[in-house]
Amino acid sequence: MLQKKICMLGGFAVGKTSLVRRFVQSIFSENYLTTVGVKIDKKSVVLPDKAVDLILWDLAGEDDIGSFRVSYVRGATGLVLVVDGTRPATLAVALSLRERAEAEFGAMPFVVLFNKSDLTDRWAISDGEIDELRQRGWQIYLTSALSGERVDDAFRQLASMVAK
Amino acid sequence: METLRQLLVSREISELSRVTHLLDEPEQLAAAVGNVLPDAAARASHAQLGEALAPAVEMAAQRSIQKNPHTLTDILYPVFLPAIRKSIGEKIDQTFQSLNESLRHIFTWHGLKWRFEAWRTGTSFSEVVLNHSLVYRVEHVFLISRSSGLLIAHVTAENATSEDPQLISSMLSAIQDFVKDSFNEKEQSGLDTIRFGELRLWSEVGPFATLVAVIRGNPPEELHEVIRDVLLRIHDESSQALERFDGDSSKLLGVETQLQTCVELQHADSNRGFPWLVVSAILLVLIAAGGWFFLSWQSGQRWQAYLSRLATQPGIVVSEQKISGGQFYIAGLRDPLTADPQSLLSGTQVDPARVHSNWQFYQSFEPGFVLKRLTASLAPPASVRLSVVDNRIVAEGEATTTWINQARAAAQQLSAGGPVFDISGVRDVSAEERWQAYVSRLETQPGLIVADQNVRDGQFYITGLRDPLAADPQSLLAGTQVDPARVHASWQFYQSLEPQFVLKRLTASLAPPDSVRLSIVDGRIVAAGEATTAWINRARSAAQQLSAGGPVFDISGVHDVSPEERWQAYVSRLETQPGIIVAQQNVRDGQFYITGLRDPLAADPQSLLSGTQVDPARVHASWQFYQSLEPAFVLKRLTASLYPPHTVRLSIVNDRIVAEGEAPDTWIDRARAAARQLSAGGPEFDISKVRDVSPDARAAEHWQYYVSRLEAQPGIIVAQQTERGGHFYISGLRDPLAADPQALLSGTDVDPARVHSQWQFYQSLDPKFVVKRLTASLSPPKSIRLSIVQGRIVVVGEASAGWISRAQAAAEQLSADGVVLDVSQLRELNLVELNHLREAIQTTDIFFSSGRVVPGPEQTPVLDRLADQLKEFAENARKAGVTARFMLTGHSDTTGRETANASISAARAETVRALLNKRGVAPELLLVRGAGTFEPAVPENENSRTGNSTNRRVSVTVNLE
Repeated sequence: MLQKKICMLGGFAVGKTSLVRRFVQSIFSENYLTTVGVKIDKKSVVLPDKAVDLILWDLAGEDDIGSFRVSYVRGATGLVLVVDGTRPATLAVALSLRERAEAEFGAMPFVVLFNKSDLTDRWAISDGEIDELRQRGWQIYLTSALSGERVDDAFRQLASMVAK
Repeated sequence: METLRQLLVSREISELSRVTHLLDEPEQLAAAVGNVLPDAAARASHAQLGEALAPAVEMAAQRSIQKNPHTLTDILYPVFLPAIRKSIGEKIDQTFQSLNESLRHIFTWHGLKWRFEAWRTGTSFSEVVLNHSLVYRVEHVFLISRSSGLLIAHVTAENATSEDPQLISSMLSAIQDFVKDSFNEKEQSGLDTIRFGELRLWSEVGPFATLVAVIRGNPPEELHEVIRDVLLRIHDESSQALERFDGDSSKLLGVETQLQTCVELQHADSNRGFPWLVVSAILLVLIAAGGWFFLSWQSGQRWQAYLSRLATQPGIVVSEQKISGGQFYIAGLRDPLTADPQSLLSGTQVDPARVHSNWQFYQSFEPGFVLKRLTASLAPPASVRLSVVDNRIVAEGEATTTWINQARAAAQQLSAGGPVFDISGVRDVSAEERWQAYVSRLETQPGLIVADQNVRDGQFYITGLRDPLAADPQSLLAGTQVDPARVHASWQFYQSLEPQFVLKRLTASLAPPDSVRLSIVDGRIVAAGEATTAWINRARSAAQQLSAGGPVFDISGVHDVSPEERWQAYVSRLETQPGIIVAQQNVRDGQFYITGLRDPLAADPQSLLSGTQVDPARVHASWQFYQSLEPAFVLKRLTASLYPPHTVRLSIVNDRIVAEGEAPDTWIDRARAAARQLSAGGPEFDISKVRDVSPDARAAEHWQYYVSRLEAQPGIIVAQQTERGGHFYISGLRDPLAADPQALLSGTDVDPARVHSQWQFYQSLDPKFVVKRLTASLSPPKSIRLSIVQGRIVVVGEASAGWISRAQAAAEQLSADGVVLDVSQLRELNLVELNHLREAIQTTDIFFSSGRVVPGPEQTPVLDRLADQLKEFAENARKAGVTARFMLTGHSDTTGRETANASISAARAETVRALLNKRGVAPELLLVRGAGTFEPAVPENENSRTGNSTNRRVSVTVNLE
C-alpha cells in the first residue's frame, strides 16, 4: 500500500473544503479546521500500475500568511494549491503559501486548482495569466466544487506525480 | 634537449616538486587535507565514512570521558535530561498508582484475600493489588512516521473497531504538531498520554516513528516500558527503512509482528469467584435424592389410601397386603358383584403396573349383594320393586303367579344363612285380570267402541269399531302384560262423529287458511276468523253434510274477505285520511281504479296499501296534488314558510290556527300577511296572541313587570306611573317598614338610570306593618306571639296583666282605623312555679320584740331565706316579661300610742328593706309602708297588756307589673 501526504493550501474561502467534501473519504468534521487548524481526508486514486492513498491535509485557509502553520507541511510529498477564480488576490496567497512551504521543506510536486469555474460571470482571472502559468510547466486545472468538473483529474495527476 | 625539456615540462616539474614538497611536509599536507576534509566527508558514502570513523570517534569519546567526563556530560545534557525527567515521572506515577490501588482495596473482602495471596506467594501486597485491579486491554497499536504522519503499520486486537487508521494516524500527528506549536514546546517527545473516559492513548516517540497504543481500561505504568521496548526493537531492526519511509508500507511488513506483541497485552481480572459448578452439582444430587424420597413416601401414602378404600367396599375382604421393592402385593376375597378392585385403582394415583393382586371369588350374603343377585336371577317385572329394609329384602308390587312362585323358591334357598327375602307384598295379577284392565282401557278411548269380548281357554277375543284416527288397540296392549299372541281382535273401521274426530277430519279436508281458527265449544265445532268466499262456501257444504247426525259446524263467525271487500276497506281508510280526497273509484275485471286529490304533505296512498292484503299490482291510482286547506296542513305549510322563532308556538284550536308567544315586529308583519292570504277560504290564522318584542316594547314590558311587582308589595301604593321618551316616572306612598322600591329594581332588567321615582312615607294599615309597629311599641314578652289570621292580628300567649291592658288599649285605638287586633286569646301570665314562691314569700313575717325596730338575731335565718326567695322571684318574673315588686308592710301591736305605733311600723319596714338590700335584693324592687295597728295578724283584745307579739312584724306582698 502506498500513501502520500498531500497538503491543500489556499486563501480564505477559496473552496478547499467544499472541493474535497464530495470526492474524498473523511471521518472528521469540519470543526477540526477551526479548532486544530487542519482536517485530514483520504482520496484513493488508482493509477495504471498502482493504487495510491492520498492523505489530504486540508489546512485552514488564512489570508494572513503569518498565521500559516507551516509545521503541518512536514513530510508532505505534494501540494494542492487552490485559487478562487473570482478573486485574483487568492492566486498570490496560494503562491506565497507554496513559497513558505518549499522554503521550509524543499521543492515538491504540486497542482494548481482555479476553483469556482462555474461562476463564469464573476470570473476574474484572464486566460493570459493562466497560459503564462502553464508556460512554466505547472499543472493548472479549472475546477468546480459544484459540478465536480476536473477535480478527479487533478488528484489523479498529482498522484502520478508523487508516486514516481 | 634540456632546454627543450624545460620548454615542454618545466611547469609540470615545478608543480610536481611543489606537490612532493607538500606531501613530504606534514604540516603542509595537514593544511591541504584540512582544506578539503569537510567537503570530502560530505561527499563520501555515509555508510563507509560512518564505519571508518566509528572506531576513531568511539576512541575519541572514551578518551574525552577519561580526561574530563564533564565535557561529554555537558554536551549530552540536553539529550538526557528530558529522558531522565520522563523516567522519574513514570516511576512516581507508578508508585502513586500502586498506593492508590492498595488503599482502595485495603479493607475490602478481596483485599483480605489478596493479603493472604501476598503472604502465600511472598510478593508485596501492593503488587498483588495492582495485579488484580489493573484490568486493561491494548486494542490498537499504530506505528506512525514521524516526519509525514503517515501510517506505517496498524494492528488491532480481536473485536476492536476504529475508523480508518490512515486518517487517525495523520490526525494524531497533526494534533501532536498542534500542541507542540501552540505551546512552543521544543522537546522532541510528543504528547505521551491522551485520555478519554476508559480509553487511553499512550504514545512513545522514537527517532523516526511514533508508536501509539490505544488502551481500554486501567493499565499499569510498566506498560510504558513494554511499549518503549517494542518501539526500540522496531527501530533496531528497521532503522533505515523507517528513516526512508516514503509512504510505501510494503517495505516494513516485518514490524507488524512486533506490534502484535503489544496488542496481545491485556490483563483480565482472574475471577475465579464462587464455585458455581460444584454447588450446582451438589444441589442436583440433593434434589434428586429428595425427589426419590418424596415419591416413595407419596406412593406409600397412596397405597394406604387405596387399601382403606378397598376396606370400605362391601363384598371385598383383604386378607394380606405388603409393599416390597416398590411393588404392591395384595390378596383376598371378592364378591363377583363388587366393584372391580382393579378399577378402584384409577383415581388413587397408584401405578396399576406395580400392583400384584390375587382375588378369590366368594358369594357375599350382604343384603346389597343378595339383592343384586336376585335382581339378576329373578328378572322382576317393572311392576315389582325390590328393596333392602332392615337387612331384609322386600319385594312389593304386582306380578304374575309364575314370577311369584320363582321368587318363593329363591326365598327358600336364601333361608339357609342368607337374609330374609319377603315377597308377601307382591300381589298376584293373573292374566284375566290384566285382560279386563286392557278392555276397560279400550272402552275409555274415544273413537273406539268395544262390541263384544270374552275369554276362552286362556285366549282373549274382542270385536268392535274403531275410527281410523283413534289410537291403535294393538299398540295399547304394550305395557299391559297381556300376551299379544293370545289376543284375537276384530276391528271394523267407522267414522266417529265425536266432535274431536270431526274436527280432525274437517281440518284435513277443508285446509282452513291461517286466518281461520277451528275449535270445539260445547260439543259444537266453531270456525272463527276471515276467509275467502270460496272457502266459506266449502265450509258451508261440509256443515250441511255434518247436519245429518254429526256435531253442529258453526261457520257464522267467519268473515268473508274477498279482494273487493279489502279494496273497499282500503278506500274507506283513504277517505278518512286528512289531505286526501277520493274523487272516484271502481272495480273492473278484478282491477281496482282510483282517482282523487292529495296534499303533498298528506300520507302516501301507496304506502297505506301495505297491510291491506290488496294486491298493489292490481291497483291503478291517479292522484292530483292540491293544497289542502285543512288546518293541520295549513299549519305545516305555515311552519315551513314563516320560520316562526322558537318563542312562538303554533297550534290548532277549534279549526283555527293560533300563534302564541313573542316575536319581533318583522315576523309579526309576515305572519299578518300570511293570515290575510289565508282569509280567502283557508282556516283563520290568529296572531293576536303574539306579543311584539321590539326593544322598546321589551323595555316597557320590563317596566310593567316592575310596576306590577311594586303593586304587589305590601306597604307600597303606586299612585301614578308613566313612560315618556324612554324614561319611566313613578310616584306613590310607601311605609317606612316596606321593601325599598329601589332595591326591588335589581333583577327586573329595568335600567335604574331611566327610572325617576317619588315616594311619600305613610303608615300602612296593612296587618303586616301594623304587627311590625306593635312589636316595636308594645315590646311583647317572649311568651307572646303576634300573628295575622285572615287579615286580623291575633295576639296569643301569656302576659302580665299590665301588658294585657296595654294591648287592649292598642286594640281599641286600631279598631278606629279598621284594623282588628284580637286580644281575646291573651291569658294572664300563669306563674305556676312563681305562685308557690309567692305564697312562701307572702306567708313570711319578720317578728320584732316589743318596742324594737330591729329584729332579734333569731330572725336572721328568716331574713336570709326571704332575701333568697325575693331574688329568685324577681329573676323568674323578669324572665316571664313582668316586673315583680315587693311591698314591705310594717305592723305594730296595740300597746302604746297610735302615732308611735304608726311610726314604729314604718321604721320596722324600713329596717327590713335595709336588711334585705344588704342581702342583695335590689332596693328599687322593695316598697315600704307602715300599717301601724290597722292590719293585725291576730285580733287584739283589751285584756292582753303586753299586746300580741305576733302582730309586731313586717309582712311582704308581691305585686306584678
